[in-house]
Amino acid sequence: MSNDWIVEMKDIEKSFNRIPVLKKVTLQVKKGEIHALLGENGAGKSTLMNILGGVHLADKGFIMVDGEKVAITTPKESQQLGISFIHQELNVVGDLRIYENMFLGSELRNKLGILKVEEMCRQTKDILAKLGVRLDPKEYVRNLDTSYKQLIEIARALLHRSRIIIMDEPTTALAEHEVERLFSFMTKLRETGVSIIYISHKLKEIKAICDRYTVLRDGEWVATGSLKETELDQITNMMVGRSVSEERFVQEHSFGDTILEVKDLGCEGEFRDINFVVRRGEIVGFTGLAGDGRTELIETLFGYRRKSTGEIKVNGKQVKINHPKHALKAGLGLVPKDRKENAIIKDLNVIHNLTLSSMSHFEQAGFIQEKREKSRFSYYRDKLNIKLHDPTVTIDKLSGGNQQKVVIAKWLEVGPDVLIFDNPTQGIDVGAKREVYQHIIDLAAEGKAIIILSSEAPEIMKVCHYIHVMYQGEITASINGDKATEDLIMRYATGSKREGGKGGKYRNAATAKE
Amino acid sequence: MQPQQKNRQERSILKDKLSWLWSEYSVIIAFLIIFIAASFMSPRFLDINNQMNILMQVSIIGIIALGMTVVMLSGGIDLSVGSVLALVGVIAVIALNATGSIIAAVLTAFIVGSFAGLLNGLMVAKGRIASFIATLGMMAAARSIALYIANGGSISGEVSGFSAIANSEFLMIDYPIIIFIIMTVFVYLLMHKTRFGRYVYAIGSNEKAAMLSGIRVDRVKIGVYSLTGLLVSVAATIETSRLNSISSSSSGVSYELDAIAAVIIGGTRMTGGRGKIIGTFFGVLILGILNNMMNLMNVSPHLQGFVKGLIIIVAVVFQKRE
Ligand SMILES: Nc1ncnc2c1ncn2[C@@H]1O[C@H](COP(=O)(O)OP(=O)(O)OP(=O)(O)O)[C@@H](O)[C@H]1O
Ligand SMILES: [Mg+2]
Repeated sequence: MSNDWIVEMKDIEKSFNRIPVLKKVTLQVKKGEIHALLGENGAGKSTLMNILGGVHLADKGFIMVDGEKVAITTPKESQQLGISFIHQELNVVGDLRIYENMFLGSELRNKLGILKVEEMCRQTKDILAKLGVRLDPKEYVRNLDTSYKQLIEIARALLHRSRIIIMDEPTTALAEHEVERLFSFMTKLRETGVSIIYISHKLKEIKAICDRYTVLRDGEWVATGSLKETELDQITNMMVGRSVSEERFVQEHSFGDTILEVKDLGCEGEFRDINFVVRRGEIVGFTGLAGDGRTELIETLFGYRRKSTGEIKVNGKQVKINHPKHALKAGLGLVPKDRKENAIIKDLNVIHNLTLSSMSHFEQAGFIQEKREKSRFSYYRDKLNIKLHDPTVTIDKLSGGNQQKVVIAKWLEVGPDVLIFDNPTQGIDVGAKREVYQHIIDLAAEGKAIIILSSEAPEIMKVCHYIHVMYQGEITASINGDKATEDLIMRYATGSKREGGKGGKYRNAATAKE
Repeated sequence: MQPQQKNRQERSILKDKLSWLWSEYSVIIAFLIIFIAASFMSPRFLDINNQMNILMQVSIIGIIALGMTVVMLSGGIDLSVGSVLALVGVIAVIALNATGSIIAAVLTAFIVGSFAGLLNGLMVAKGRIASFIATLGMMAAARSIALYIANGGSISGEVSGFSAIANSEFLMIDYPIIIFIIMTVFVYLLMHKTRFGRYVYAIGSNEKAAMLSGIRVDRVKIGVYSLTGLLVSVAATIETSRLNSISSSSSGVSYELDAIAAVIIGGTRMTGGRGKIIGTFFGVLILGILNNMMNLMNVSPHLQGFVKGLIIIVAVVFQKRE
C-alpha cells in the first residue's frame, strides 16, 4: 500500500525451545529515519533484529522490505537486501588486519583475482576518518582497544552502502566524543535516506538522535510513536511498567577503617603516581575519557598486569599481587568491562559461570555439589532479578543485560572486601541500572569497599562518595561526591585545567599513532 | 483449523526434541548406527569373542585419547603421545630387568610419563610456546631418546609375571579393557565433577576471562599435560606387557593421529572449551568397530587409512554444521 515503510515486520513470533520470546511483534520503519527499538533486558530486541538480519528464522509472521514481501533465511540474503547489522557482541577477527576485517567476505579484487590491498586500505582509511579515527588499516585488530574494535564494526556496516542499518547497542564500549562523532555521521546518513534501527539503554542518546520509537516488553509490542511527542519518563514507564527515579541516592556517611591503600602505583607507559584509599562502606569512583588509564590501573591492581612502581596495602598489610588469584586471596574482586572478552565463558552454562571464582563454596571431598550450585543460583536469580528460563543453557544464550547480572552475581558469591566494578551497567536497562546501583550501595552499607569505573560522569556522581578524575594516566582531581558537577569533572578529564595538555606520554597505543 | 494447528505444534515439538537428542548424543547415535550396520554386514561381528577383541584393541588408544580429550578441551594438542609411549616402555622395561620388581617398573613408567607431560606443560604454560610446536619437539626428542637407549631395537622383559598385566582376565574380561573403563570413569569424574575439569573448560573457552576469574591458568595447563603424560604411561605399561617387549622404533607410531581422530569423532571441538569424555569413549569404539569390520571383510590394510581419514572428515563436517 504505502511505500513509506522501508521495513515492515508483521506479527513476528519466535520461540526458543518452546519458550516464546517474541509474541506477534510488529515493527515499521520509515525511509530515512532513525528508529529506536526499546525495552528491558531480555525483551526480545536482539532476537527481533536477528530475524531481520537472517540469523534466526521467525516461526510466524512476515517481513516486507520496500513494500515487497521477502524471505530472509541467511545473513547473506539480508545483506543483499541492503541491510547491515552491527551486532550487540563484537564480531571482529583479532588475527586479521583492520582492512581485512572491513572487507571480510566481500574483498575487492582486480580482473586477475588478485586482492586490491591498497584500494581497500584507502577506503578503510576514508570511512574511519569520517568516524573521526585515524588508524593504520594494516594494524592487527587484536592490538586495538575495545572501543576501536567497535568503531571498526560500525565502519564495516557503513562501507556496504546499506539502505537499512541495524545498530544493537553500538555505544556501550565507546567514549563520549566517539559517540558524538557517530551521531553526526548517523545524521548525515539519515539525510541521504538511509534508515537506522537503533537499540540502546541510554535514553539520553535516544532522545538526542532518534525520530521514532517502538517499545517491547516481555516479547510483546507495547507502543510506537514519535520521540518529539513523548517524554522520556513515559517511555521508561512503558518499558519497565513503572517509573524510575533519577535522583541521587541517599547515603549516610559513616565509613569504617581503611581497607585498600594504594601508594605511588605506576606502570610504564600506562599510568603513574596513583595514590588513593578506600574505606569500609565507601564508594569511590574513577572517571575520565578514553585513554585515561583507569582500566589499566585496575587491571594492575588486580594482578593482570605488572606494576612497575608503588605498593598496595590491604587491611594495613602490604600485599604482593602478581596474578588475579593473589588479588582474590587478598580480598579484591573485579567485575571487568567488555563482558564478552573479559567476563563470560561462553561455553559454560549460566550456573557454572556463576560459581567459577568460588568453587570452594561448592565442594565436598573434592567433588562439586551441583545441587548446592543450583540453589545458590536461584538465590541470585531472585536477588538480582535475572531473567532466564533455563540456567543450564550456555551463558551466551542470555540477553546481554542478564549476562552482566550473572557476572555481578559471580563476584557477590566470592564475597571480597573490596569490589571493583568497571563499567558495571554496560548494556543494562534503565530499571536494572537502578537495581544494580542499589545493590552496590547495599554492599557498601554492609561494610564493603567499592570502586566504580565509568566514563559516564552523571552516573557515578549519583552513587560515589568520592570521585577521582583521571587524565592521561594521572589523577588530576579528587572531588567529594556531593560537590561534584558534570562540568567540573569534564574540565579535569579533558586536561583543560593543566598547562600544555597535549603531548602527555601516557596514552594508549592506538591513540598514540595519531 | 484448531486440530491442524495442534498437529503442527506437536510436529515442531518433535523436531525440537530430535534436534536436541542429535546435538547432545550424536556420537552415540552414530555409534549405534555403525554397530547395527556392522552386525548386518558380518555375522561374526556380534560374536562375544569378537566384541572383546574390539575392546581389547581399542583400550590402549582409548586411554591415550582420554588424555588427548583433556588437552584439546584446554585448547591445546599433544602430538608427543606416541613417542612418549615408546620412551616410557623402553625405560620401564630397563627398570624391570634391573630391579626385578614389577611395581618398580610400573612406578618408573608413571614417573617418566608424567615427567614428559610436565615438560610439555611447562613449555606451553610458562614458555608460551604453541602446543603444536612444543609437543612436536617432544615427539621428536622422546622418540630419539628411546631409539638411543634401546639402540634402535626392541627390549624384552625378563621378569615373569610382567606380561600378566595385559594378558589376564577377570570374569572373562581382559585387564586392559577393565583398565580402560576405570580410566574413563576416572577422567569423566575429574572433568565433570571437579574444579579441575571446570577450569579446563573455562580456559579452553576464554583464557583471559578464566584468568580474570582468578584461575591459575598456567598451573592448570601444566596439570593437563602432566595428566596426559600419566595416562600415556598407563597405556605404555599395557602395550609393553602385552607382548612383554617394546620396540623403540615402531611402538606408538601414529598413535597421536588415532587418538586425535577418536577425540574429534567424539565431538570435541578443536579449539577447546566444548566436548565430553563420553563422546571420546564412543569415538574410540567407533574407530575400533571400523577397524574390526575392515579386517573381517578383508579390506586391504593399505586402504584402511583411507577409510579412517574419510570418517574423520565426515565427523568434522557434521560438527561444523551445528
Ligand atoms: N539462542 C537462544 N536460545 C535460547 N534462548 C534465547 C536465545 N537467544 C535469546 N534467547 C532468549 O530470548 C530472550 C530475549 O533475548 P534478547 O537477546 O532478544 O533480549 P534483548 O531485548 O536484546 O535484551 P538486552 O537488552 O539485554 O540485550 C531472552 O530471555 C533470552 O534468554
Ligand atoms: Mg540484546
